[in-house]
Amino acid sequence: MPILTKRPNKTPLGIYVHVPFCRSKCQYCDFYSLATKDDKLIDGYLDAVCDHIKEAGELAPGYQVNSVYFGGGTPSFFGGDGLAEILNTIRRNFDVSSDAEITFEANPDSVSDRLLHRLRAEGFNRVSLRIQSDDDEMLKKLGRPHTYAQAVTAYQRIRKAGFRNVSVDLMYGLPGQDLQDWLETLDNVLRLLPEHISCYALKVEEGTPFYELRQMLNLPSDDDQAEMYLSAVEALKSRGYRQYEISNFCRKGLVSKHNMKYWTGGEYLGFGPSASSDFAGKRYTLKRDLQSYIAAIRDGGDIMEEIQEIPMRERAGEYLMLRLRTNVGISAQEYEKTFLLPFAPLEEVMEKHRRYYHATQTDTGRWVLTPKGYLVSNDIITDLLLAQDGSQPLRRI
Amino acid sequence: MTELQKIRNFSIIAHIDHGKSTLADRLLEECNAIDQRIRAEQMLDSMELERERGITIKATAVQLSYTADDGETYALNLIDTPGHVDFNYEVSRSLAACEGAILVVDASQGVEAQTLANTYLAIDAGLEVLPVINKIDLPSARPAEVKAEVEDIIGLPAEDAPEISAKNGINIHAVLETIVREVPPPAGDREAPLQALIFDSQYDSYRGVIVYTRIKAGTVRPGMDIKMMATGAVYKVVEVGAMSPNGLIPREALGAGEVGYITASIKTVADTQVGDTITGAENPAAQPLPGYRPVQPMVFSGIYPADGAKYQDLREALEKLKLNDASMSYELESSIALGFGFRCGFLGLLHMEIIQERLEREYNLDLITTAPNVVYRVTKTNGETLMVYTPLDYPDPMEIQLAEEPFAKVSLIAPQEYVGNMMELCQQRRGEFKDMVYLDANRVELHYEMPLNEIIYDFFDALKSRTRGYGSLDYELIGYRPSRLVKLDILLNGEVVDALSFILFADNAYPRARKICEKLKENIPRAQFEIPIQAAIGGKIIARETIKALRKDVLAKCYGGDITRKKKLLEKQKEGKKRMRTFGTVSVPSEAFMAVLKLDED
Repeated sequence: MPILTKRPNKTPLGIYVHVPFCRSKCQYCDFYSLATKDDKLIDGYLDAVCDHIKEAGELAPGYQVNSVYFGGGTPSFFGGDGLAEILNTIRRNFDVSSDAEITFEANPDSVSDRLLHRLRAEGFNRVSLRIQSDDDEMLKKLGRPHTYAQAVTAYQRIRKAGFRNVSVDLMYGLPGQDLQDWLETLDNVLRLLPEHISCYALKVEEGTPFYELRQMLNLPSDDDQAEMYLSAVEALKSRGYRQYEISNFCRKGLVSKHNMKYWTGGEYLGFGPSASSDFAGKRYTLKRDLQSYIAAIRDGGDIMEEIQEIPMRERAGEYLMLRLRTNVGISAQEYEKTFLLPFAPLEEVMEKHRRYYHATQTDTGRWVLTPKGYLVSNDIITDLLLAQDGSQPLRRI
Repeated sequence: MTELQKIRNFSIIAHIDHGKSTLADRLLEECNAIDQRIRAEQMLDSMELERERGITIKATAVQLSYTADDGETYALNLIDTPGHVDFNYEVSRSLAACEGAILVVDASQGVEAQTLANTYLAIDAGLEVLPVINKIDLPSARPAEVKAEVEDIIGLPAEDAPEISAKNGINIHAVLETIVREVPPPAGDREAPLQALIFDSQYDSYRGVIVYTRIKAGTVRPGMDIKMMATGAVYKVVEVGAMSPNGLIPREALGAGEVGYITASIKTVADTQVGDTITGAENPAAQPLPGYRPVQPMVFSGIYPADGAKYQDLREALEKLKLNDASMSYELESSIALGFGFRCGFLGLLHMEIIQERLEREYNLDLITTAPNVVYRVTKTNGETLMVYTPLDYPDPMEIQLAEEPFAKVSLIAPQEYVGNMMELCQQRRGEFKDMVYLDANRVELHYEMPLNEIIYDFFDALKSRTRGYGSLDYELIGYRPSRLVKLDILLNGEVVDALSFILFADNAYPRARKICEKLKENIPRAQFEIPIQAAIGGKIIARETIKALRKDVLAKCYGGDITRKKKLLEKQKEGKKRMRTFGTVSVPSEAFMAVLKLDED
């Protein structure tokens, strides 16, 4: 084996940077972001995030970063220079592997050739483009600041700039949408041939403008949404997309490495207001307010909104809740070895759900959910958690 | 012992909210009986629940020492009575311990049904009833009219009735003077064989049962052997004394005319039934005092722990409650659906709710309560007659020759504009109209005879809502009458859930069955499969709903920032499942049982 490619024996780490700026707020969005491009705020944010990264870098010498994800907010709206500066700060303070997946989220209205070329040159290799719908009326209803034509143009620019791993986001279960509308959207967007596609059911969250309007939105029923979901899974499968998570599909094995960390118990560090981390056994969330985040970084104050040390027993629950979202699924051997808890009570639950065609076992004996199972996964997971509650730890062998 | 001339025994009669407890409080204050600093809002209503609901559940008594305008000091025994229709018998026994009663009438509301009923109880018991007009400081007070009402409706002279405000302490002195002047002193031979009326008792873990009593004849002293004439139990008296506002004060003896307590290392209140007579074991009275009736629960319901493993906890809690409440009964019951629990008997629905709430609050139990029912009488084709306390015991229709249900005499009072509404309600509840009396120009009293079953569920609430709160209710059991009864079974996924079965009047079966199925559909969560809900009588399906299979219950997004929140969501959902009971393959949350109980709310 050539010496140069030999990897140091380090723990893999993901880095998430929350960029809390948008052109405007969408009607359904409950992420933390500000509809502003105020220079002072942007500079303050940039300094704070970079300082924060510098501090954190010293704490993670045993780690190698294999994914960096800029989410938001709208990183593309924030601009190429700022993103590049943050990425470079990360590179200088962490050991970022040469084949790391480096993603930024983009909205169609803020994707310029200049931005794309700059970021491609800086080593960004994946773009997540938020298209959401192919219907301009719908985009307007959702409060999206772009048209579908803009989205197609943006996609083509991204391709031209040399990005070979592009993901697009779509939403279904939208106001007034029916199954036909949704399948057409999917059909149109799939012509773009993205490597990766995320399809999210609209969830009307408390605190969003949609929440106030929810009675008047004419949202599809749960049954209709279920139909939309299953049809999408079928359509994507027939076009060669593999479903690797409840809402995520990819070609050529191009899963989102970064997101897989969330579902498989990987470690990650978050920077920027409202970002979450799961690092060294603790899960924590940073302050969900830009000003307080900036002030806390500057003055060395408390930047945490919430911090939790997760006991092993709870990790065992998370294992079920998160892994079953993916096509990795759960295995008896892995579970018993990691958590020293018996799998038998869980096996019983999985067998029950197999009878409803909600779960199935792979050739290697791992349990995974079927698309129908994904649709009712809360019910399955809570059954498992209930079975887990009653189980006694295995004796250490 | 206090000489008879210096004793006054009285109680206070009032409609709920008319200020009975507040007046009692003021009387105590006026006699400097309570240390101001330790005074709770309403001294006599000491139970937390009583305070919350503003009603008296248990009778209590207290002795006041009052120096009147004539310079003499009197022992005033105030016996507080329960204030709800469920507790009518207890009221009658408390009244039997008194020579007088203060009738508190709200100066704006006037005379109400409950007041009337208790007033008649007092008059029938031979008490001197003294009206007092309360809340005269309210802008809507109309004391003169209300006084006229008292004279017209009840026939009591009310011209000189004190006009008071218990809340603001106005004219309380006049009430005390009226008591001294108008309530006759008790009579009774203190040398005669002992006859002591039990009007209440309470369990104390140190002394055993504390019996509250009114001595009608003879004298009781520590060391004396006593006998409960109805139950036959014999005990040796440990202590006798008076109830002061600040606790029990031992005395050398209690003689005829006095109100006080007796302790005798009694282990259970079941031996000291309200209304029973205590006499001497050696020199017994020839006869007990009149009016004793063994307590008889009227409403029965199954109480089960929501978590089957908590059965022992429930048993212990019921045992403890029973120590203090002879009117409640419980018996082991086992349901296929709910496992082990208890069939509990109550005086009425309020009593049932109180017990249920105490079990949940004081003993921290999560309960499933099945639909309450009255006691049916069934004569089988083989001639055997049985009392049916639970739908589980209801015989097969083929074996029934005659089914009977208990009826009650019902009296309703409301302003006349609501007569139509009340009549409609009574008709819906199978009421048989008896007569209608104008109490005054505006108010009407209606008399009906009605199945008890129609009253116990939500009749009072329905009455209140149809009379904008002005209606009042009183009822009294009058016996059994033949009826067309059926047992309605509920099937989930094809299997009978016995705990949901109940007995009802045949004509009500269809609408009720439909409603129950609808309610269950709303309250049972969708499962991985379709669940038929059916209602059946003797195997014949009369209503059906279907809970569609669960199609969508998923968190579409779950990234780093979502995990904590979504974990909490799932945790909550899991806890919800924990509280469900599984019948065959169907999980039913305990709320579903509650929903079935409250069918007529919408």
